[in-house]
Amino acid sequence: MGCSSSLPDRSAGRLSGLNNAENSGVPDAKNLRVKLVLLGDSGVGKSCIVLRFVRGQFDPTSKVVTVGASFLSQTIALQDSTTVKFEIWDTAGQERYAALAPLYYRGAGVAVIVYDITSPESFTKAQYWVKELQKHGSPDIVMALVGNKADLHENREVPVQDGIDYAEKNGMFFIETSAKTADNINQLFEEIAKRLPRPSSS
Amino acid sequence: MSLDSSSSSSSGDEYIEENPNSNPKMVDERFEVLTLTEPVELESNHRGDGSEIENGSLNRERNGGDEDDDRLRVENQEIFGDAGPSSPSSSGYAGERGSSSATSASRIDEASEIDDNEIREVRNDGSLEGISDSQASSWVPGKRHIDEDDASISWRKRKKHFFILSNSGKPIYSRYGDEHKLAGFSATLQAIISFVENGGDRVKLVKAGKHQVVFLVKGPIYLVCISCTEEPFESLKGQLELIYGQMILILTKSINRCFEKNPKFDMTPLLGGTDVVFSSLIHSFSWNPATFLHAYTCLPLAYATRQAAGAILQDVADSGVLFAILMCKHKVISLVGAQKASLHPDDMLLLSNFVMSSESFRTSESFSPICLPRYNPMAFLYAYVHFLDVDTYLMLLTTSSDAFYHLKDCRIRIEMVLLKSNVLSEVQRSMIDGGMRVEDLPIDPLPRFGSSPHLGQQRPPTDSPERPTEPFIGIGGPAGLWHFIYRSIYLDQYVSSEFSPPLNSPRQQKRLYRAYQRLFASMHDKGIGPHKTQFRRDENCVLLCWVTQDFELYAAFDPLADKALAIKTCNRVCQWVKDVENEIFLQGASPFSW
Repeated sequence: MGCSSSLPDRSAGRLSGLNNAENSGVPDAKNLRVKLVLLGDSGVGKSCIVLRFVRGQFDPTSKVVTVGASFLSQTIALQDSTTVKFEIWDTAGQERYAALAPLYYRGAGVAVIVYDITSPESFTKAQYWVKELQKHGSPDIVMALVGNKADLHENREVPVQDGIDYAEKNGMFFIETSAKTADNINQLFEEIAKRLPRPSSS
Repeated sequence: MSLDSSSSSSSGDEYIEENPNSNPKMVDERFEVLTLTEPVELESNHRGDGSEIENGSLNRERNGGDEDDDRLRVENQEIFGDAGPSSPSSSGYAGERGSSSATSASRIDEASEIDDNEIREVRNDGSLEGISDSQASSWVPGKRHIDEDDASISWRKRKKHFFILSNSGKPIYSRYGDEHKLAGFSATLQAIISFVENGGDRVKLVKAGKHQVVFLVKGPIYLVCISCTEEPFESLKGQLELIYGQMILILTKSINRCFEKNPKFDMTPLLGGTDVVFSSLIHSFSWNPATFLHAYTCLPLAYATRQAAGAILQDVADSGVLFAILMCKHKVISLVGAQKASLHPDDMLLLSNFVMSSESFRTSESFSPICLPRYNPMAFLYAYVHFLDVDTYLMLLTTSSDAFYHLKDCRIRIEMVLLKSNVLSEVQRSMIDGGMRVEDLPIDPLPRFGSSPHLGQQRPPTDSPERPTEPFIGIGGPAGLWHFIYRSIYLDQYVSSEFSPPLNSPRQQKRLYRAYQRLFASMHDKGIGPHKTQFRRDENCVLLCWVTQDFELYAAFDPLADKALAIKTCNRVCQWVKDVENEIFLQGASPFSW
């Protein structure tokens, strides 16, 4: 888990667009590579989830607001000895960037839609993103619905069941996470990796 | 409300405050009465464009065959600053508005100075290194006093307010306080503007006692500054222009369409999370001379080092990158542009402010839409931004929204070359060494060496390491030189000397910048100027400004400095700058040659 870093990766350099990441790698059933986009309202903790996953970090004092989108990558090894390299687009939740979201989710194999369990508005916003992706995303996109800030359960305003129900209705994988405590963060990405379509070769 | 206290303590009372360090205070007090009052009603953005040809400067040679032509002479036209304090014409702002809270004008200033400056600690002598950067680093980014509104006494006492509002009176941004709570105040500002506009006129400036209210109308966006800092109107207007530019950088001018569709459009959500960007820009008005010089500055580097950086950037620019910019903090290491693309210094200022103030760029590489208001205010460009180390960052700008992987590739190549050619370590070294220091000003015209190790600091053999003793009046450089800024008109670049004693505290430094700013405004004022030289002496310091077709020099001296000697010293500074120009300026930067 967490073996490779997000530092300069020369093998990723051959690509020429945001939307063709999945076309360029050599098709290899053992070494998958997938473009993942995180979407959701501002302040729900998208960057925290990514930084926890990629670097194992969490800064409780940080109020960093993402600008545009940040790019990070992380490779994980699954039990069946396949590796999955996630090329992660951590998008800004700010309204002004909403119109630019297609730039980042175009061609994505995975979309992780995040809301904050203490904020019903962010859950509504998550549903907006689900609909948007159903309309404009890749048809075979793997979607995950993530209720973050699970450590703040005493302030919970979105019942777990609401998340489960909505995810089920829309054929999504659902999980609640806490970037703060690292709870379910790795599980989230491992579950996504397991659900990825495998190349039919070999 | 005691008028007496304010008038008797002179216009400088905004600077008085308890100061734990007695030594800097003395100098502080020297600056107190620094008043360069200028006529401020004129609206002009005149840059000395050298259109006037006078005094036989027509056949001037730039590179010194006949050096005398380039010299500042004592006989030049001079304007002597009147050392007398300008008497405050009326009472303070709060008092006029009938507020019962304020007791005296000087008290208001005392309290509010904190907020205008935000930096309370005064540096001790001795810390020579990185003083100029200390201002930027000790300042905590982000908006303060969010809980205030226009009913708060503290809010009213703030020395410098900035507001952005829509033409329907909806608040968009306020430097202090919660925008939503300022709806009433915004509506008042809007009413003033539209009242005048309805009469077929335009309000630019309202003076109320010590306060100036400056208005700037940009289509459906109104910008207002309310200030009692005694900065000239032109400077405040320039600051509003920059704030507007920063907004355009984030949203583009196409935001106007939202107001066409819906005049009551609420813009605040669109600027969500950008408080830090604006507050950092506003903070830079008091420490970054680029904000009024409309020029950028370079990190001092050996010519070959900058060339190496420029070469790899050029390589990348040829592959379809519009602009490739390598910077360290607010200083340029190198930059190149695609053919015919030119980058305005103000755009660079706004872009670097945006990148440096947005923490997220530091966490990982990113790809974001940004707009360069002077390049094309209507369209987004896409910026690939990556921090190579804590202070050094690369920005690759493109028009193509699909270019991320290509730019990432470019960055990897650039980073490899920069590491291999030691550019990054040279950058670190330059950051530690700092720039030009007045103490290092060569005293005698020395035989020029091909290139000196660092900014000509190599002393002639006769000069002993333990220097001073003789020709120094007070501390600082020769002839009491405290500081200088040299702006090259052709290059759109400036170089500023490091702050040395006695200019120790951020407060003094800010005061000096304000003085320069006034000088700049007066030199570029259409009504009076363009001047060639200006020499002002008051009890705090001597300011000397010299404008030619090629450059502008701003210098500050000890108040007791001898005039003839000061002029001679300015000539030396110009010569020194010329001697090291290959290290302090980016030469042949195509983006700026239009």
